[in-house]
Amino acid sequence: MVSQLANRRGFLVLMLVMAQGAAGWAQSQQSACAVSLTDADITRRFLERREAVLAQAIGTIDPADPTKGGYLEVAAALQKGVKREAALARLAVINRPTPNANMFWAYPMAAVMTAGRAGLDDKAWARIQELWRTYWPNRGDTENHWAMSYASLYLAAQTCPEAGPGQWFNGRSSAENLAEAKAYLEHWMWVTTNFGQGEYDSPSYIQEYLIPMGLLAGWAKDEVLRQKARMMLDYLIYDYAVESVEGNYGGAHSRVYPRQIVAPGQAPIAAISWLLFGYHQQAGDPANTILAMSGYVPPPILERIARDEVHRPYVERELKRTRWRMRNAGPHSFVIGDKRTVPVYKYSYVDRDFVLGSTQGGLLQPIQQQTWSLDWRSDKPVATAANTFFGTQPYSSPYEGTMFFGGDWDTVSDLIARSKADYDSEDKLPGGSPYEQVFQQGAALIALYDMPAGNRFSHVTTFFSRDLEHTTEDPSGWIFAQGGPVYIAYRPFAAGVWKPNDWTHLLGNDAKGFIGSGFAQWGLGSRCYVSDALRNGYVVQVAPVRAYASFAAFQAAVRSLPLTFSTQAAPEATFTTLDGSVLHVRYDEPPTVNGATPDYDHWPLFDSPFAHEERGSQRLEIRQGGERYLLDFTKPLIQETAVSCPQP
Amino acid sequence: MKSPAAFFLALLLAGVSSLAADTPPAHRLYAAVAMTKAQKNSATPTDSGLYQRDEHGEWSYFGPRVLGIASLAVQPGSHGQVILVAIADGVLRSMDGGRTWRKTTGWDVADVRSFAFDPADANRVYASTCWGPLRSTDGGATWSLAQAGLTQLYCQAVAADAEKPGRVLLGTEDGIYRSTDAAKTWARTEFPPVSVLRIAQSPADPHLLLAGTQGRGAWLSRDSGATWTAVDPATGTSNLYAAALDPRDVHRLAVGGWGVGVRVSADGGATWTDRTAGLPVKNIFVLAFDPDVPGRLLASTFEEGTFYTDDFGRTWHSAGLDGAYVFDLIFVPTAR
Repeated sequence: MVSQLANRRGFLVLMLVMAQGAAGWAQSQQSACAVSLTDADITRRFLERREAVLAQAIGTIDPADPTKGGYLEVAAALQKGVKREAALARLAVINRPTPNANMFWAYPMAAVMTAGRAGLDDKAWARIQELWRTYWPNRGDTENHWAMSYASLYLAAQTCPEAGPGQWFNGRSSAENLAEAKAYLEHWMWVTTNFGQGEYDSPSYIQEYLIPMGLLAGWAKDEVLRQKARMMLDYLIYDYAVESVEGNYGGAHSRVYPRQIVAPGQAPIAAISWLLFGYHQQAGDPANTILAMSGYVPPPILERIARDEVHRPYVERELKRTRWRMRNAGPHSFVIGDKRTVPVYKYSYVDRDFVLGSTQGGLLQPIQQQTWSLDWRSDKPVATAANTFFGTQPYSSPYEGTMFFGGDWDTVSDLIARSKADYDSEDKLPGGSPYEQVFQQGAALIALYDMPAGNRFSHVTTFFSRDLEHTTEDPSGWIFAQGGPVYIAYRPFAAGVWKPNDWTHLLGNDAKGFIGSGFAQWGLGSRCYVSDALRNGYVVQVAPVRAYASFAAFQAAVRSLPLTFSTQAAPEATFTTLDGSVLHVRYDEPPTVNGATPDYDHWPLFDSPFAHEERGSQRLEIRQGGERYLLDFTKPLIQETAVSCPQP
Repeated sequence: MKSPAAFFLALLLAGVSSLAADTPPAHRLYAAVAMTKAQKNSATPTDSGLYQRDEHGEWSYFGPRVLGIASLAVQPGSHGQVILVAIADGVLRSMDGGRTWRKTTGWDVADVRSFAFDPADANRVYASTCWGPLRSTDGGATWSLAQAGLTQLYCQAVAADAEKPGRVLLGTEDGIYRSTDAAKTWARTEFPPVSVLRIAQSPADPHLLLAGTQGRGAWLSRDSGATWTAVDPATGTSNLYAAALDPRDVHRLAVGGWGVGVRVSADGGATWTDRTAGLPVKNIFVLAFDPDVPGRLLASTFEEGTFYTDDFGRTWHSAGLDGAYVFDLIFVPTAR
């Protein structure tokens, strides 16, 4: 069954390569879309981009200069059989010192050992084996670390299945390493397809999941594991596509870096979206190189969903989970295996021009959580567009650190801030807070805050990017703005002050490199609305510009909406949205929509016009037009109907 | 009391910041450290691992170069050949005195913090991890989860009773749990529901145990852990990471913690004295009595070095490890 599917996909790709230039099967469903969305055209374009990725990688290898290129570029050259001598010379240089990058050493090395295997000479192979024997690549402590570590270890061990314990850094034989790695990878897939990903929907770290799954999909000799990895690629890419707007990953995220939260196009997903769907522009990215080498081709249905304009706007609900909580797990936690976690309820309103998405708030992830955001289509350069709007309650505490890390109470925040310099800053923009609760319905959301006195940072920050236009503080208390194709209405419950998005003291410390490099290009000019009331909140209502005759008309419509709120005791609000829904929220109590409480007990793994899966399903059936694409991890197999003409 | 010659020698050695002893030590000292002071713009320290102190008081790297080493234990009776190392990736075991190593846990074990060999059976060893305790019945060659009876799995400290076989104490997020069946099952003791950071048993009197907690100070048990009493009210709300009991004098105890420095008791815990003066900071993570030098106490600070005192904290001398975040100091009998 597995091989039938694999063969079928391979055959399809082969036929498409042979038939490039032939007429497409059908016209695009997207009458307003410039690109054809037929299977043939989608696949042809992907294959062209794939070749461009490989050409760029190989182009980095310079026969005259063995200082250029990394492991992945070496692997690409060796796989293609070009510049072999130069690639081997470069590899010898890279391999000379003892590595220190742990799983970020292991995965590109695994790519060299698999994709580039045919081009390696005995000397290079001997050095590679020596490194695996003498260097201990630490497994790391995050979900993506483990996925990369074990995928790399699996493939490395696969290359020498008879090797004994003395040939490996950890004193375990190839057979033992293969078994351990496979057991973890299958466990991760099982947890993800039952309960949702822990490090979910990150525009940064999606890269670190596509990498290991791409490696396994390309080179795992175990047919079942290889098939599952291909399916996980489909799964992860669907998860992204269904909440994307013009290539950007919209909504709430488990992890996002400061520069990426301010300028979404700074995230790796921007480059990845180019390979997958043709958004933005080509840029070097390790996930792209590995996917290009692996032979993986996304099913065309995924690009049709990413570019959908027929079903949008729609609501996407997803179930995820927190990172494993080792301490302070809380009363809402539950156990998977022997690890504690808490459900994450994602809700995104996906319009063709924007995505407004959120989670319920609280501490869902350490350090880099984004609880809610609005992202919109933008015609500005991707690397500097600040096409986003969001709020946060800056929170920093060893309570959070010890929840997710094994560090000590008195040092954990300090040690976190040595690599994530914004963590303990009052100006921080990413991060969850135990004092933040968010509820969203359609294109409106309400955030409530109830902070104790003495909290390290007792303010609420709302980010108003430099790309916003016509920002107006209305006498009604609403603040109106326009972000490209979306109108924004923001109603704070307590007065605030405007502050420039100024990271001066952050940029002054030793960690400024990754956080602050290029800040003048992508970070200057935005500002924050900062309110320091302990009991606080706000309403956000957005709408597409196309839905109103004018900005004034939108403002008038919002002003007329019934809204009451109080922060005297527990913060609460009642708001009638533009679509007529009546939302009622009170801190620490279940919210209601038109008097009914959402059914969190049965919140689905996925729910939108394209898929509905209950928790525990271990499957994902994607539907679009007349198409059906089923990922069944219990078998495992992929079933797809014959591609029909996906006319609306 | 030391002989005059030894005292004079000690003075000389103190002047050159050396830990060298006047006779070959019966124990070797190991330190599990991470060099965090130099950790800038990085999620990982510049160096990490085990260091061993030689007979001249110098520290050198020992064992595998692995991140996240928290502790070390040597199987009793193995003459230093069977060594266990607690690392973030699991448990490492050497059968040849540290020349070669093997990871003896699978993917599901992580963040191992400490070990305790059962004095009654050198093949029985217990481990605390951030995700729950482990037990082994073959000297650490294989491990199984040991979670029966626990409501919270996080555990940082484990101690095997030196007196009664199979009795084990576990410092968890929810106080101290005790097992009487070699960690097969656990039962909660009468201890506050707080994180227990360190449990130390007196080598001189196995009924006497000292525990450091997060936010609730130091606790003492005189009945092998059945009941506990808070001691040293001055640190009653402190985070105490360090606890040590003098192997030669049952009345001499020491605790240390964040912002607390070193506090000592010479009367079995009845009264306590601050002995921080002379240390560069008041942030202490490890205390250990040297079994080879009567009265010598070592204290490791957060990133500002390790120090020793031969006068119960009245004066301190450098013992090296500058810049280190020391997780454990372990005295291991030398193989003879």
